[in-house]
Amino acid sequence: MKKKFKFRFSRRAFAYPYMIFLLLFVVVPLVIILINAFLDDAGKLTFDNFVEFFTDSGGGLTVLGNSLIIGLVTTLICLVIGYPCAYFLAKYHASNRVLVLLFILPMWVNFLIRTLSTKAIFMALDVDLGMGTVLFGMVYNYLPYMILPLHTTLVSIDHSYIEAAEDLGADKMTVFFKTIVPLSLSGIISGITMTFIPAISTFAISEILSSSKIFLFGDAINMHFSKTTNSFGVGSVMSLVMLVLVILSNLAVNLTSKDEEVKSAL
Amino acid sequence: MKKFVSSIAILLLVCLVLTAFAACKTEEIDTLVIYNWADYIFDVEAMKTEFETYYEQMTRKKIEITYVTFDTNETMLTRLTKGDSNVDVVCPSEYAIQKLIELDMLVPLHYFDEESYLNAFSSSVDSGSYVHNADNVEQGIRDKVGETFGNIEITADGANKGKQVSMLDYFVPYMYGTLGILYNKFEFERLGIYDGETLNKANWGILFNDNGEGGILSEDLTGNILMKDSIRDSYAATVFYLLESGKLEGMTNSEGKPYDEMPASELINAVEDNLLEVVKQTLTEQKSQLFGYEVDFGKDDLLMGNAIVDLAWSGDAMYAIEESWDDEREDYELAYYLPHSNGNIWFDGWVVPKTYDPDHLDAIKLFINYLNRPDVAAKNLLEIGYSAAIKPQVLLNDENAMRILAEGYEYDPDDPDEMAEFTDYFFHYEDEIDLSNWRYPFESAELNSDNYRNIDSLGVMRDFGDKNKAVVTAWNYSRSAGVNALPLLGWTALAVAAIVGAAYLIIAVKRFYRQRVVVRDNSEDGDTDKT
Repeated sequence: MKKKFKFRFSRRAFAYPYMIFLLLFVVVPLVIILINAFLDDAGKLTFDNFVEFFTDSGGGLTVLGNSLIIGLVTTLICLVIGYPCAYFLAKYHASNRVLVLLFILPMWVNFLIRTLSTKAIFMALDVDLGMGTVLFGMVYNYLPYMILPLHTTLVSIDHSYIEAAEDLGADKMTVFFKTIVPLSLSGIISGITMTFIPAISTFAISEILSSSKIFLFGDAINMHFSKTTNSFGVGSVMSLVMLVLVILSNLAVNLTSKDEEVKSAL
Repeated sequence: MKKFVSSIAILLLVCLVLTAFAACKTEEIDTLVIYNWADYIFDVEAMKTEFETYYEQMTRKKIEITYVTFDTNETMLTRLTKGDSNVDVVCPSEYAIQKLIELDMLVPLHYFDEESYLNAFSSSVDSGSYVHNADNVEQGIRDKVGETFGNIEITADGANKGKQVSMLDYFVPYMYGTLGILYNKFEFERLGIYDGETLNKANWGILFNDNGEGGILSEDLTGNILMKDSIRDSYAATVFYLLESGKLEGMTNSEGKPYDEMPASELINAVEDNLLEVVKQTLTEQKSQLFGYEVDFGKDDLLMGNAIVDLAWSGDAMYAIEESWDDEREDYELAYYLPHSNGNIWFDGWVVPKTYDPDHLDAIKLFINYLNRPDVAAKNLLEIGYSAAIKPQVLLNDENAMRILAEGYEYDPDDPDEMAEFTDYFFHYEDEIDLSNWRYPFESAELNSDNYRNIDSLGVMRDFGDKNKAVVTAWNYSRSAGVNALPLLGWTALAVAAIVGAAYLIIAVKRFYRQRVVVRDNSEDGDTDKT
């Protein structure tokens, strides 16, 4: 006696509210940014904003370069620390749920509070605030974003592949490099994007952990929009550059990854 | 007990019914929408009740107040210029008011011309009991505003385009303050620079660790100076520093006028490319002396000993100082320094945007007048910490206002000795280091003839205007300079190389060792294969 429900409207209708939301709060703001990038203070069409940014007269390109380097280094350190962590977490996952929790626990605390307390600790230890402390703060904040995707992929690796490799005479090192690492590639790539993109756009971490002395790309965008009047133009150009960077890194993910799951993330 | 509870309940019920009736009877309730800085008036609820009473006295009508707040002039400007607001009365800073006038968005009030201000009242206002409080406003402020913003040209298209107007017709001063230096007094004593002579020579140089004679003020100041993360304030401080340190010698503006001959109020608004270039270089060089840039953590950094010096506004400084009492040394840990050479002074005041509701005009005008009552000004002084634009003499003569102030500072208003002490502390305070009255730079200039500070040395900053973009670019440049992440990249590459190298070495050694084992195995039992 099963009763069959038939939807009067197609199931697609349920996606409409979100579509409208996306249109209003993602697409429209992007268009506004695009328009602002071509306007000067008086609202007239101009290319000055692009000229100013790309000739580096306000130091915009320098800031971008510094941000890219810091983002890259942060990602690398996160990967170097995060991979072994995720690996051992995955290996002893069944018996050690508490351990996994320990790595996710910091994410339960608001990151601003964490960063402020990091600053307090550095000040108490008499550490000079600067590049080192900013880097520390970045790694500390983005490490979970590296570990989590890695952990998920590593846990889902079918153990029989590893056994097969061992059966065929591979030693531990070979098993790791020839089997586990290639199988976790999708996790590595999504970990890298999840760390790199926020790391190049953050402004709060550098603001707090260097007392605003280390001026990054996120700080520059923030300054143009919220600390000055009528300088939306250059700020918009910077935001567009940021957007291009995000798209580029996602494209890179698509090119390097054969995994369908990661591809669909774009 | 039960009886008590039930009687209370009945009483409440009766009250409820009565108020409901009262509300029905009047029917007509006026409204007023106030748009003010956050935390920029004494207790909002108390103010509402008090103003409602005042309004009822004047008009015999009820009023309902809507109170909205903003955080920065920029947010307020955006909201007003986009035209989607329906506020009646706003409290921006002077440069934002200039901008609004240029855009022809304000209604002239003529507060300082009693007759025309009164004429606009509708017949419901009882002009017999109305007291016009315009004379309570400090004359010095009116002069200063008139001098700096005397003729603003309306630039927006429309009937008024090109018209020259004076800001005083539009604006009623509310609060003002100075830009100065907040510093840790105990640290200055330790460094041996806590004396008037040294600091008065250094002036704005304190922020640049310059003793005013070409040398550094103190080695320990390096890395302990905080600057404000605000273009306007940093610009002002830098220009004054450049002037007093003689770095503007020989430089002229586009009309050939030497910068070092300009008074403070002119120099601070002379934003020209050659001056901007020097400011940019100076701010860049200053970075090596800084602890950092602050937005609102400055006070904490100073009290925790992270930094010693901070660029600060007088009201914030006053607040920080009052919080910094040290029980052990029985003294305030922080102090404020108002540089002697030149300085920056700012005003916030009330204006009415053109989008106001004409039906609210009585309420608007009565509200502005209400704020200039001495007792209301006293309450605001206590709450906000900046100086109210009311003459100190008016407060001193008003018993009610003095009572409010004294109680706020925990003095006994009924004890004449304590009152004398309070008056001395609040109105006649003069810092022994910078010889100035932090709260009343105007009065100080009047009362103390030996004080060589002169009100002309305080300039009011106008909007950067069409130079805005150039200033932002210069600021962005100074902020980004001095940070180089390339070494970081080099070190990381080195570290990666070292790790990879080490890993390869370990693997190679292991392989080599294993091969030897295999070889030995071979020699022992000769029939096994060599895989």
